[in-house]
Amino acid sequence: MELGNLASLQAFYPELLLTAATLVIVLIDLLTSDKSWLGEVALISTSGALLLIGVGPLDGGAWLFRRMLVYDSFSIFFRALIALAALVAVWMSIGSQEVRRCEQGEYYSILLASALGMLLMTESANLLMAYLSLEFVSLTSYVLTGILRHNRRSQEAALKYLIYGGVASGTMIYGMSWIFGMAGSLDFMAINRALFATSHIPVLAVFIALVLILSGLGYKVASVPFHMWAPDVYEGAPIPITTFLAVGSKAAGFALMTRFFYPAISHLGPDGNWQPLNQVAWPQLLLVVCIITMTLGNLAALQQQNMKRMLAYSSIAQAGYALMGFVLLSNDGLIAMLVYLFAYYVMDAGAFLVVMIVANLTGSEDISAYRGLAWRRGGALLAISLTIFLLSLTGIPATIGFIGKFYVFAAAIRERFYILAVIGILNSVVSLYYYMRPVKAMFLEQPVDSVSAVTVEYWNYGLMGVLALATIFLGLYPPPIISFASNSLRFFISSS
Amino acid sequence: MDTIVSAWFPIAVTIVVSALIVGGMVTVNRLLGPRSARNKVKGEAFECGNPPSGSAWNRFSIRFYLTALLFLIFDVEIVFLYPWAVELRELGMVGFVEALIFIAVLVVGLVYAWQRGALDFE
Repeated sequence: MELGNLASLQAFYPELLLTAATLVIVLIDLLTSDKSWLGEVALISTSGALLLIGVGPLDGGAWLFRRMLVYDSFSIFFRALIALAALVAVWMSIGSQEVRRCEQGEYYSILLASALGMLLMTESANLLMAYLSLEFVSLTSYVLTGILRHNRRSQEAALKYLIYGGVASGTMIYGMSWIFGMAGSLDFMAINRALFATSHIPVLAVFIALVLILSGLGYKVASVPFHMWAPDVYEGAPIPITTFLAVGSKAAGFALMTRFFYPAISHLGPDGNWQPLNQVAWPQLLLVVCIITMTLGNLAALQQQNMKRMLAYSSIAQAGYALMGFVLLSNDGLIAMLVYLFAYYVMDAGAFLVVMIVANLTGSEDISAYRGLAWRRGGALLAISLTIFLLSLTGIPATIGFIGKFYVFAAAIRERFYILAVIGILNSVVSLYYYMRPVKAMFLEQPVDSVSAVTVEYWNYGLMGVLALATIFLGLYPPPIISFASNSLRFFISSS
Repeated sequence: MDTIVSAWFPIAVTIVVSALIVGGMVTVNRLLGPRSARNKVKGEAFECGNPPSGSAWNRFSIRFYLTALLFLIFDVEIVFLYPWAVELRELGMVGFVEALIFIAVLVVGLVYAWQRGALDFE
C-alpha cells in the first residue's frame, strides 16, 4: 500500500505531536516568565507520542509520503524504543540540577526535535530521507551537548562532536552518491531491484560505497573506528542528554543500519537467512568491526576514573554485542539484536540515572564520589540499584542484560560463529572488572563524609525504581520482550 | 573488452582535454608573461585591485554569524516557495494549507529570534 501525503498522516501522529510540542514550547517560552513547567509539557508530549505509536494501518505496513517513509512492525519497535528513551531523558532532565540552570525552552524544544529526527531515522525508506533525518538528529545533538553554556567541558564536547559528525556525514553522503550512481535511485526497494537484477555492477564499487556509508552509520552507533567522539561527548554533555545519546541515538542508528543493510541490499531466503546481494563482503567487514568494537570498548573502560566516561566506553562495547546479532545474516540474529537493544535501554538508562542522582548530591562524577555510598544514611537504595544496573550490564543471570546477551550468543552459536561467541563471552568476563569497581567503592570502602545523609527527590527515586524493577522482572520473566521483538521483525518490502 | 573501452572512452577524453587545457594555459602564461622578480606588491593578497588594509585575523562580532544563519533559513524558505507558487493551481487547497503551515513554522522561528534579540544590531 502506497499512501499519499494526506493519507500518510494517519500513521504519523507521534511525529506530528512532537513537531507541535516543539513549536508550542518555543512559544510558551516566549510568552511566560515562569519556565519551571516546560519540562512537564515535554513529558506529556513524549508520553502522548509513545501512546500514539501503535496507531496506523497495521495490515502488514505501508509506504508513507510517496515512499519516503515506511510504516511496519520493525519501525514500530524502534519508534517505541526511541519514545521510551526520550521519555526517560525528559524525566531525568526535570530532576537534573545541571539542566535546571540552562535555558528551559530551548532545551526541551531541541530535545523533542531530536526525538522527532530519530523517529524519522527508523522509518526512512529512501537514502535522501535517511541522510536528512540523520543530519537532523546530529545537528540537534550538537546543540544539546553544548547546552551548558558556561561549562568548558560541555563546549569542548560539542565542538568535537560537530567536527567528527561533519566528516562522518560528509563521507556517508559521498557513499550514497555512489549507490545512486550504480542503482539509479535512492529508494531502498529500487536499489534492491537494481543490485539484484544486474550482474555488471562491480562488486568492489558497491563495497567501497558501503564502507563510505558505514562511516555515517557507525558514527551514530559509536562502533570502532568511528567511536572516538563518544567518551568526550558523553562526559561533557548534561547527563540526561548523555543518556538520550547513549540509548536513543544508538537505537536509531541501529534501526537505519538494519533497514539499509537488510531489506535494501540483501535478499531474504525462505529459511529466514539473508544473502547479501551481489556477494558483497559487508558481513565479513562488520564481523571484524564488531569484534574490535567490543574488545576496544571493554579494554578502554578498565582504566576510567570518571563514571560517565566509563559508561561511555561500556556503551561502545555494548554496541559491539548488539552488532554480533547484526552480522549473523539471520532473522534469529536480528531478533537477538532487538532484544539486546531493549535490554541495553533499560539498564544503561538506569545506570546513568544513578550517576545523575549522585552528581546532583555531590557535584562529582568520579568513582571516588561513590565511596561508602551504601553505608551513608539513605544511600543504600541508591547503591543497590546501581549494583543491579551494573550487574545487568555485565550480563549476570536474573537480570535483563543476561537475557540480551544470552539471545545474542545463542544466535551466534546457532549460526556456527563459535569464535565470535567465545570472544563475546571473554569480553563479558573482562567487563566484570570495571563494572564491579564502583560496586566495590560503594560497599567495601569507608564513606568520605559519613555525617551527611543522602537525600534524593521522589521524582528521581520513582524512575530509578521502575528501571530497577524492569531490569529484574524482565530478567526473570522475559517472554513479553522476546515476543515483542520477534513480532517486530517484519520489514515491509512489497514492491507494488 | 570492447564494451569496457567504449564505456570508459568519454571519461578518457575528459581527462585528456582537461589536462590539455590546464597544461596549455600554464605554458602560454610562461611563454608570454613578463618575468619579474618577487616584489612586495606581488606578495600581497589580491583584493579585487584595492590595496588590502589591516590583518585578516581580526575578530568580528558574532552578530554577523547570527544574521548569516537567519538569512540562510529564510533563503531556503524562498527556494521552497517559488516552485509552490508556480504549481499552486495544480496543488489545490491541500497544497495551499501545507505551505501556510510551513510558513507558520518559520514565523514562529522568526518571532523567537526577534524576541531573543538576534536581530538587534545595537
